[in-house]
Amino acid sequence: MASERIEEYLEAIYRKQSTETPVSTSSIAEELKVSLPAVTDMLLKLEKRGLIEYTANKGAVLTEQGRKLATSTVRKHRLWERFLTDILGLQWDVVDNEACRLEHATSPVTEKALLSVLGDIDTCPHGHGIPDKNGNVKEEKAMPLWEISPGHKACIISVNDETPETLRQLQKSGLKPRTVVSIESKNSDNTISLKLADHLISLHKELASNLLARSLTAKELAEIPEEISMSHLSAGESGIVKSVGGGRGVLGRCLSLGFTPGSVVKMVENFGKGPVLVKIQDTEVALGRGVADRMTVVRSNIKY
Amino acid sequence: MIKPAIVALAGSPNVGKSTVFNLLTGLSQHVGNWPGKTVEQKTGTLYRDGLIINLVDLPGTYSLTANSTEELIARDFLVREQPDLVVAVLNAASLQRNLYLVAEFVELGIPMILALNMIDVAQQEGIRINAQALSSALNVPVIPMSAAKNSGIRELIDAIVAELQHPRIKIQQTDHIETDSEIENIIKQIEALLTDELTNPYPKHWTVMKLLEGDQEINKLIRNRLPVEKQKNLDSLLENQETSAITIATLRSQWVQNMIMICQEKKSPGKASLTERFDRAATHPVSGIIILIAIMALVFSLVYNIGVPLQHLLNSYLVEAGRKLIYTSFTFMPILLQSFLADALLGGVGTVLTFIPILFLFFFAWGFLEDVGYTARVAFVADRFMHPLGLHGKSVLPLVLGFGCNVPAVTGTRIIDSPRARLLTILLTPLIPCTGRMAVVTFTAAAIFGTRATFVSLGIIIFSILIMLISGIVINRAVLRGEKAILIMELPLYHIPHFKLIALTSWQRTMGFIKRAGTVILVAAVIIWLLSHFPGDNIETSLLAQIGKGLEPIGRTMGLGWQMMVALLASFVAKENTIATLGVLLAGKDVGVYTALQDLLTPASALAFLVLQVLFIPCVATVSAIHQETQSWKWTGFSLVFQLILSFAVAFIVFKIASLFIQ
Repeated sequence: MASERIEEYLEAIYRKQSTETPVSTSSIAEELKVSLPAVTDMLLKLEKRGLIEYTANKGAVLTEQGRKLATSTVRKHRLWERFLTDILGLQWDVVDNEACRLEHATSPVTEKALLSVLGDIDTCPHGHGIPDKNGNVKEEKAMPLWEISPGHKACIISVNDETPETLRQLQKSGLKPRTVVSIESKNSDNTISLKLADHLISLHKELASNLLARSLTAKELAEIPEEISMSHLSAGESGIVKSVGGGRGVLGRCLSLGFTPGSVVKMVENFGKGPVLVKIQDTEVALGRGVADRMTVVRSNIKY
Repeated sequence: MIKPAIVALAGSPNVGKSTVFNLLTGLSQHVGNWPGKTVEQKTGTLYRDGLIINLVDLPGTYSLTANSTEELIARDFLVREQPDLVVAVLNAASLQRNLYLVAEFVELGIPMILALNMIDVAQQEGIRINAQALSSALNVPVIPMSAAKNSGIRELIDAIVAELQHPRIKIQQTDHIETDSEIENIIKQIEALLTDELTNPYPKHWTVMKLLEGDQEINKLIRNRLPVEKQKNLDSLLENQETSAITIATLRSQWVQNMIMICQEKKSPGKASLTERFDRAATHPVSGIIILIAIMALVFSLVYNIGVPLQHLLNSYLVEAGRKLIYTSFTFMPILLQSFLADALLGGVGTVLTFIPILFLFFFAWGFLEDVGYTARVAFVADRFMHPLGLHGKSVLPLVLGFGCNVPAVTGTRIIDSPRARLLTILLTPLIPCTGRMAVVTFTAAAIFGTRATFVSLGIIIFSILIMLISGIVINRAVLRGEKAILIMELPLYHIPHFKLIALTSWQRTMGFIKRAGTVILVAAVIIWLLSHFPGDNIETSLLAQIGKGLEPIGRTMGLGWQMMVALLASFVAKENTIATLGVLLAGKDVGVYTALQDLLTPASALAFLVLQVLFIPCVATVSAIHQETQSWKWTGFSLVFQLILSFAVAFIVFKIASLFIQ
């Protein structure tokens, strides 16, 4: 049975390995916030147990046995993070610390129970892959968001820097893994402008470099629902309201009848000319064509 | 003397609020107008457990933002009059939509009861509502009921009494809908800019919400009161007002969604409901029109087959018999008094009143279609035809009502929300041939055209509708300014009609007409009588005849003698008076009115006369209704002058063209 301390070290080496091999003593010291001599001491111990290969002045590389132990810890860590956000509703900026405490006390029985509660998941809340039983991780190819050029649509994959401050900032702007943003422009003041749904967000370079993302493929782009005017829905089609327009009076009237962004509508009758009949919130509402023209929707297959 | 409690009945359209109101007040209700507004106000009194409860029926609204006069009235009553209790009537079958208004009541912090009406319809639709859960979530009584089936009304009254006797302690709402949302900050900043004094009588937080929702009235009020140096701050905070309005509505919808999750259980919708299946035909551009025409044909044939014989009966047994009685038995009176009673009162006002059965039947048939929910479909189907006129579908409803009588039609334009579209509809309504004018048309056509009379009458109806459409296009383009009308209208579920309510509404509409007959029509009848009896007590030498003779040169251009001009002028009292006047004018000739008419008119001049009569200035009752609804002498005058010129010009053209074809 490996001690908590050992698990911490292996985890740190595992995390660092993706960017540097071998992992230097100094970066381990930085990661775990311990002194250099202590690290060296520990690394020698780990080598003795056959968990790492250690070369003085260069650093450490995990052995197969070490990698297994490390991924098993990382797996528990990320499962716990999921549990804390998804089930207990904690914010994603506090769960890393909590998971660090819980991971070491997790028996295989608890791990199994966690899995069954969480269901089908493959990443932690910050977007990093959860290793499977054999320690294999599916990591999606990604690059810093900052490096994706304007005009592209990108899917955010993961957050590189998991410090609470960064996470809080990201949460505020609504950016999390799996959200799709379009890159609008890179600005002279070292910021990047993004569009998330209808909101324009501005991120500083530092933050944007910490978000890993990938450009959407042509196939994915084609699948993004297109925003159309409501009057273009044909009878029988459903849509989700995206925007509501029209002068003050019209806007207020539409809103009070339930046409708010996110509401589901079903086109009941649309003859190409004249008024349309739309079902919303269990009732049919007649809209002059002019009104329907000024509302936008995306088609949906939600059964009304 | 106990101070009466004031209870307001509030709710959206199509929730059965009128039915609930009728059940609560019975026949004690009083129908009038809201002060200074052309919106109907119904009040009534309920006595229970030593309490006097004054019930006020607020206009049906979807929200409390002043998008329309109705909404303005409703929320001003709630804020300024501070009723002791508000009964919010909800349609249980579309609770989600109805809770939006409740969200606004909660924000306003007013004491309320929720009347969950149409609970039976909801059950049929597979919707189950846990009233208890809703009640404890909102801390207000929730009474499930069905006004149409007369169930739950006792419980509602008990709840009203209980709330009035022991009002709940009002919980100061601290957890506003915007808590923890992106808009909270802006709301706080605007709140800091205002003071309670500044927003009086409106609550401060509520005022801020309305500012952000783009409420014109509140905006004006605050801008007038806010010191100049703070105006700029407010402007910058309201910069993204439209986005804010959407955000607030979305937050309110989320609140509603939460309430729905707490209290509503819904089976997935099964097969299409009866409403849906019938609507596919009734709202279709082709079959919808066919259904509309079929239903209207049915209504008119019912009205004419039952109403017209009744009118004839009343005319011969009351008016004619009465006049005979006066002339033969009241000989102790001076002859002038006899004539006044017989001609001015019975002949003038009495004849008008014989049309009551026709009117009542028409109102009843129309009320039936309204209550069943069909009229909204009429508006939908007709919408596409109304756009060239700058109107939308709703304008069709008063216009159709105009075939019965123009007076309630002018009043009925209140359902149109845009002031511009409403004014245009008011101006066009008098061009719809009402039953009074149709009586003249059928009478004259029968006299002149014999077997082809029906064809001519129908032609005149279609012709006047065409003239109305052309006038609409012209007035819309040339005269009116302002925003074009926009159709946003809920199509209610069809439901079983509530005959008591229909009868009551039809009765109220008919009474409105009778009241006018007793006032403006009476005055006009007396004036016409005076004009036709002085000087000389002989119609041939009277002022009326002199006016008619003065107009003869104009009449001549279309082959009409002075008698026809006088008959036309008499139609100002009431359109059907034309016949009575002709009767008087032609009485000297022994051949009977029919034959006398044939001597006076050629087919061409008869056509011209029919067109003239149908398009001539509205009757005095309609004019008074136009003035009441437009609240403007300018537009009333416009209507008169417009139709005066229109009728003579069109009749002249018709005469000239007809002369070419018929000898």
